[in-house]
Amino acid sequence: MSVLRTAIVTAVLVVPVVSQQPASYQERDFLTRVRRLTVEGRRAGEGYWSPDGKRLVFESEREPGNPFFQIYVLDLSTGETTRVSPGLGKTTCPFFRPGTDEIEFASTHADPKSKQYQDEELAFRASGKERRYAWDYDPEMDIYAYNEKTKAMRRLTTARGYDAEGSYSPDGQWIVFTSMRDAYNRTLSDAEKKQLETDPSYFAEIYIMRADGSGQTRLTTANGYDGGPFFTQDGKKIVWRRFDEKGLIADVWMMNPDGTDQRQITDFGSMSWAPYMHPSGQYIIFASNKLGFENFELFMVDAAGTKEPVRVTYSDGFDGLPVPSPDGKQLAWTSSRSGGAAGQLFLAQWNHEKALEAIRTAPPRKPSKK
Amino acid sequence: MKRTFLFSAISAVSAVAVLSAADTPSRTRRHVETLASTRLEGRLAGSNGEKLASDYLVEQLRKMGAKPLPGQRDFRLPFEFTAGTKDGGSTIAGAREMPGGARALSFSDNGDVTGPVVFAGYGIVVPESQDFGYDSYATLDVKDKIVLVLRYFPEDADQKTRGILARYADLRYKAMAARQHGAKALVVVTGPRSPNAGELAPMTFDTALAGSGIAAISVTGAVGQALFAGTGKTLEESQKALDSANPHVAGFELSGVTARVHAAVVREKRTGNNVVAYLPATVPVTTLAKPWVAIGAHYDHLGHGEAGNTLADNADANKIHFGADDNASGSSAVLDIAATLAKQPRRRNVLVGFWSGEELGLIGSAAFASAPPLPLDSLAAYLNFDMVGRMQDNKLTVQATGTSPAWAKLIEQTNIAAGFDLLLQTDPYQPTDVSTFNSSSVPCLSFFTGTHADYHKPSDTADKIDYEDLDRVADFAAAIVRRLEDTADAPQFTKVEQQTQPGVGRAGTRIFTGTIPDYSTDVKGLLLSGVIGGGPAEQSGLQKGDVIVEIAGLTIANIYDYMYALDALKIGQPAKLVYLRQGRRVETMLTPAARK
Repeated sequence: MSVLRTAIVTAVLVVPVVSQQPASYQERDFLTRVRRLTVEGRRAGEGYWSPDGKRLVFESEREPGNPFFQIYVLDLSTGETTRVSPGLGKTTCPFFRPGTDEIEFASTHADPKSKQYQDEELAFRASGKERRYAWDYDPEMDIYAYNEKTKAMRRLTTARGYDAEGSYSPDGQWIVFTSMRDAYNRTLSDAEKKQLETDPSYFAEIYIMRADGSGQTRLTTANGYDGGPFFTQDGKKIVWRRFDEKGLIADVWMMNPDGTDQRQITDFGSMSWAPYMHPSGQYIIFASNKLGFENFELFMVDAAGTKEPVRVTYSDGFDGLPVPSPDGKQLAWTSSRSGGAAGQLFLAQWNHEKALEAIRTAPPRKPSKK
Repeated sequence: MKRTFLFSAISAVSAVAVLSAADTPSRTRRHVETLASTRLEGRLAGSNGEKLASDYLVEQLRKMGAKPLPGQRDFRLPFEFTAGTKDGGSTIAGAREMPGGARALSFSDNGDVTGPVVFAGYGIVVPESQDFGYDSYATLDVKDKIVLVLRYFPEDADQKTRGILARYADLRYKAMAARQHGAKALVVVTGPRSPNAGELAPMTFDTALAGSGIAAISVTGAVGQALFAGTGKTLEESQKALDSANPHVAGFELSGVTARVHAAVVREKRTGNNVVAYLPATVPVTTLAKPWVAIGAHYDHLGHGEAGNTLADNADANKIHFGADDNASGSSAVLDIAATLAKQPRRRNVLVGFWSGEELGLIGSAAFASAPPLPLDSLAAYLNFDMVGRMQDNKLTVQATGTSPAWAKLIEQTNIAAGFDLLLQTDPYQPTDVSTFNSSSVPCLSFFTGTHADYHKPSDTADKIDYEDLDRVADFAAAIVRRLEDTADAPQFTKVEQQTQPGVGRAGTRIFTGTIPDYSTDVKGLLLSGVIGGGPAEQSGLQKGDVIVEIAGLTIANIYDYMYALDALKIGQPAKLVYLRQGRRVETMLTPAARK
């Protein structure tokens, strides 16, 4: 999920440019009929499919009075877009709950200072200054479930510290999510306090809870940012990304929903994140800056992680947050390929057969030099 | 699409044939093949080919049940224009012999003027708003006199000064300055220290129906020298004193010199025809403040290239310029959209316009807008189509999106079904008819699939059109019109600031760099879609795909920056140029050549 973009654009690091894939694939081998889905507003991204594949829920900055992301549902048959979040404060990381009318997302609207922050950001932009995109891991961020029929919102998390990046299990009974509560629910050492000031994401861990918010359980304990978890389509695994302690290198990991059998899938020596399992269960699509620190491209890797990742996108600008459609035939992702620094939501036909072929012929995984 | 200064650098790039399957069922193919056929001879405004093209459009409009505009009997709305100018025997005479003669400037008034002659240097007046302080007339009284000025701008000025003066050095602008100071005639000489020294200024293509309010001629260097004879000064010394651009070097009256100027321009008048129809709303529209939606495209093209705006190689000169993409494609899209809308209920009247004279300077749409058969503020929006038949990689450029805050949402909603990889450009000041409607404060959009190697050449033929995607563009636009018909509140108009000063010509075009800019992207810098073979750009190693980001120390963010930067260059003097190739910065030297 999105949240990582932060670290990406603020940290300073030089990742050596490594030689590209040996096979001569191009973007059009995997992605055809590329189309831009969002036009309105400053930026948009993180589109997740409804289980029937007819709608997308995404985040976008497009309301005159609010410079932060709000959550919208896009109906792909009519082109209509409807806001489902409160409109106040910041929101992120939406997901449809299968079998229900509910959508989960994280929001800060309960923070009494939300409006003040909006006005401050608008005034800052009106002054003509421009800051680089940064995600602030707002500790007031909590996860809510919104019912599209009743319009009711239910708060699912209350812990102090950033709770976000939630996604449902395929049966709609569980939510796996990211929380930084570990930084607030105990006494921190001096070193940890300093860490919290400079990079709170260090404290982020993966949690799981029931869809009603009960039974919140921690699944990971490693230092460094664990985040962006998603269930696989069969519900048997969770795919996520784990950063090293410095927050510079990230790799794709998988585990069981109870936190056991944590396994590293990629060893790509770069910032590899936003992994999402293709519904076939055969490969994971993710984003990495392997080819240059600010040049994020989509890659894919076999589910067991035995092969070198295969490059998917070949366009200038940012490509990330890939989400295959439930039938596996389309791919939604976020890209800045149409110009400007801000991303928009894109959609393309996905060539599954070609993807399998490319993964099959990819060379075996080379351990990165650490 | 009209070829403006922006396009003047385009030339030969190797032709890439885009083959379409001949058996593709397409709604637009028949229209394009008819309009771009040999029989219509390139549809030059005012020609028989244009007449035949308008016959076809009228026939199609009748077939779908469209009607002439309210109050009009005919679909054709004629307008008169100047199809060309030539000199009608202009002369200059004085006490001494004036060898070599004179030629009218294309925008000159016709007439005879006799009077004393004042040398006004370069004849440049920088407006006070520019806070620069350069006025060739500051110390001169030229009322009812003949003004002699040098062509171009001071030759030895520093780069920044050249950049400013060049903007006000266009001959039309110099004529206006002379007229505003009360002069009765302007005489232009190309100074001995300038490129093309001593030569007469060519008569440029000019479509104005009347002169500029002053007799204006150019004379040879020998005439210029003869005018100085007996004054104790020479033209060359006088030019040299001015060439540093020192604003305190003044012009002077050529004492004892009087001359008689006979200026004669022959303007060939022709009549072009816009073809305009409408599909009446199927419900009463009396409650709507803006009961009309308009779609349009120009249907004229370059004929055999006789109007001077062809890019054909010498081998292809005078051949038919078929203009299949430019703009049989846009005209066909408009016919198809209208046919679609004709079969559906309509909550607004739909105006369907086919403009002529676009290639000569947006003349047809401008004539329509200057005497509109219906108030233009009753138009909720105008959608323009110019070169929409060569789609690549599903990319569709939509221009002029800055003209209304309503566009983003409308385009987003409609494109969900259409599925294009959209590139949006806010700028409505495009070299096509959308610019006319923007000037009339109508919210507008223009659709464009990009330039190509066949642009303004006889090789822009119907077999290279991508009909499947042309149909898709028409479907997309028809859906936008439907949404515009259905919305009670018409889009609000927003004025977009123009990035260059209107009305000021550019002497910068005397510089030739041989670059072919790509206009369909939002890349920061100047993306090249090619370079002219043997030109300065090619010699300095530039190629297609390079992005120019800096020239002579000036950063380049867009085409306008580039044009200004060119003003500051000197012919024959190498300038440092920085470009991006595949993301890497590369430095080179470029030596600009003179444009004739």
